[in-house]
Amino acid sequence: MFSIPVFLESFQPLFWAARYTLLISVLGIGLGLVIGTLVCAARLSPYPALRAFGGLWVSFLRGVPLLVQLLVFYYSLPVIGIDIPATAAAVICVGVCASAYISEIWRGAIAALPRGQTEAATAIGMTPRDTWIRVILPQAFTLSLPALVNELILLVKASSLVSVVGILEITRASQAQAATTFRPLEVYIAAACIYLAINLCLAALGRYLEHRTAV
Amino acid sequence: MDLIEQYGPMLLRGFGVTVLCWILGTIFGMALGLVIALVQRYAPRPVRWLIQVYIEVIRGTPFLVQLFVLYYGGPLVGLRLDALPAGLLGLTIYGSPYFAEIFRSGFRAVPHGQIEAARAIGMAEPAIIRRILLPLGLVSALPALVNFSIILTKETVILSIITVPELMYQVSRMSTETFRYVEANLVLALFFWLLVETISRLGRRFERRITQHLIERT
Amino acid sequence: MQASSVEIRKVNKFYGPFHALKDVDLSIPPGKVTCLIGPSGSGKSTLLRCINFLEAYDSGEIRIDGQLIGYDSPGRKMTGRRLREMRRGIGMVFQQFNLWPHMTAQQNVAEGLIRVRGLARSEAERRAAEALAKVGLADKMGNHPARLSGGQQQRVAIARAIAMEPRLMLFDEPTSALDPELVGEVLNVMKALAAEGMTMVVVTHEMGFAAHVADQVAFMEKGELVAVDSPQGIFQVPKDARIQNFLRTYHERNSF
Repeated sequence: MFSIPVFLESFQPLFWAARYTLLISVLGIGLGLVIGTLVCAARLSPYPALRAFGGLWVSFLRGVPLLVQLLVFYYSLPVIGIDIPATAAAVICVGVCASAYISEIWRGAIAALPRGQTEAATAIGMTPRDTWIRVILPQAFTLSLPALVNELILLVKASSLVSVVGILEITRASQAQAATTFRPLEVYIAAACIYLAINLCLAALGRYLEHRTAV
Repeated sequence: MDLIEQYGPMLLRGFGVTVLCWILGTIFGMALGLVIALVQRYAPRPVRWLIQVYIEVIRGTPFLVQLFVLYYGGPLVGLRLDALPAGLLGLTIYGSPYFAEIFRSGFRAVPHGQIEAARAIGMAEPAIIRRILLPLGLVSALPALVNFSIILTKETVILSIITVPELMYQVSRMSTETFRYVEANLVLALFFWLLVETISRLGRRFERRITQHLIERT
Repeated sequence: MQASSVEIRKVNKFYGPFHALKDVDLSIPPGKVTCLIGPSGSGKSTLLRCINFLEAYDSGEIRIDGQLIGYDSPGRKMTGRRLREMRRGIGMVFQQFNLWPHMTAQQNVAEGLIRVRGLARSEAERRAAEALAKVGLADKMGNHPARLSGGQQQRVAIARAIAMEPRLMLFDEPTSALDPELVGEVLNVMKALAAEGMTMVVVTHEMGFAAHVADQVAFMEKGELVAVDSPQGIFQVPKDARIQNFLRTYHERNSF
């Protein structure tokens, strides 16, 4: 039956591992933001080749399960002679995958801005570059903040998959713990609780941002 | 070529299991989601709160951890399931709150006046649900339903971790036996890419067919 | 045709602290057309929606042919079944038509006959065709609402209501959502219906219709029923300053 003491004892090693979950998700979204912005720029650029490349990037990364991406990436690295720590490989993989979704979030936010905004900027003689930097991007960023927080929540959950390549985040740590204590029920529920706590906090942050930006 | 001969049947079986998981997971998940959405619309407040807790818990935790609780933790409380049924149950539970949310906003998109018109001619609530709320709500929920069903396709690979013999599981077995990790996973990636693109294209065509008569011809 | 009468006595309605209907008294005689006019937000639509209990009134009584609607006794709401039975005798036409977009015109009309009146599909479809012919849409039976103009949609909505053979028809600003050139076809159908001796309650901004078709006109403002009179009494010799004011604004807005 369910044992409360075992359940409570499971938390300590998992808390330790939660740092890796957070590390991978936060760095992943950081990397995803950088690449995602470039991909979005490529998709909105006037050059057909760049647009096609951006389109393929998004379609491939959104069409292939993260777990498969992870394994392709992880096994390919040694073949092409790159030797980086597993954690770094995981961050890159998660970040690259997130870039596809973030690029779409940007595109949606930019498309949601009324045309009049650009027209007003052009009418007072702003250059296209200034229009983007001063008018479009700041608004798009505020508009997309809640979606970005949501993306971060998805990454926290998705980071559980990097356990398959041996990174000791919450899920991997709970597997190890379950193997030594033979109490998988308590341990995995404890792991679920930690994920839930992280994500509820993030969701609250998202609602706060949404509330603040909704004028 | 030998590889195909040797592993072809196994991969084909794996593909069959993947498709089975995807279709059944979508159907069961949608059914549970629909029940949740209807209960949330009509049930008294305490029931709605309980369901809200369920939704938050499922949406706040990784699918993989849910599977572990179910498959490895289940036997400790007497729930002994084989990998495949456990995987299907897991997919159903995992998908249900998302489907419920999709139905809920679909129902919200039905203009209140169309429900009122039915009340005004004296239609009873069950008939209103069946004849007005469901058909109209389903149509406006369709794009999101197709979308989430595609997400579920991708989630089925996670079932391989609890040893459900679907495509990814078979590919892993093949690659450990042949040491062709990169090629095998790359082919798997391309395969999923193709599959997802095909499904979403078919989905969009299906949506257009179904909504055709609802769109004003201009 | 059987025609109902409606007795409204001391009806009050609140939305939170907002007093939407204040002690409204109104008698609607059988077989006659009663128009409710007044500025927007005056409570005319709310009053109309109380008659078939789409809005619950908080106190007072609304009786249809002597039968209280919505409540068994003061403060005790009637069951859904009893309410549905009473609503069968009351047709309603909405400002936004509220046709069901997934059904053809004929299916829209037949739906209530099948689900509520329990008619067989073939019989329901025959009567639906009749009702649609009556509003001049015999050739549009197979069209979905999205393939009909606003005026045609509203005529289908009227057919949907009259197919149920109501003894009372409620119209909630039936022409307000229409382009001006489509108003006439809907008003003509309503005039024909009035000529048959249907009891009609019409919330409208069409003063011409009120003046020519109504048997009595009720003027409302800020939740109060200010005056009930013949069209002549309201439009030719309005006694109350509020009515004069309303009509002046109306004429100014509609003059070139």
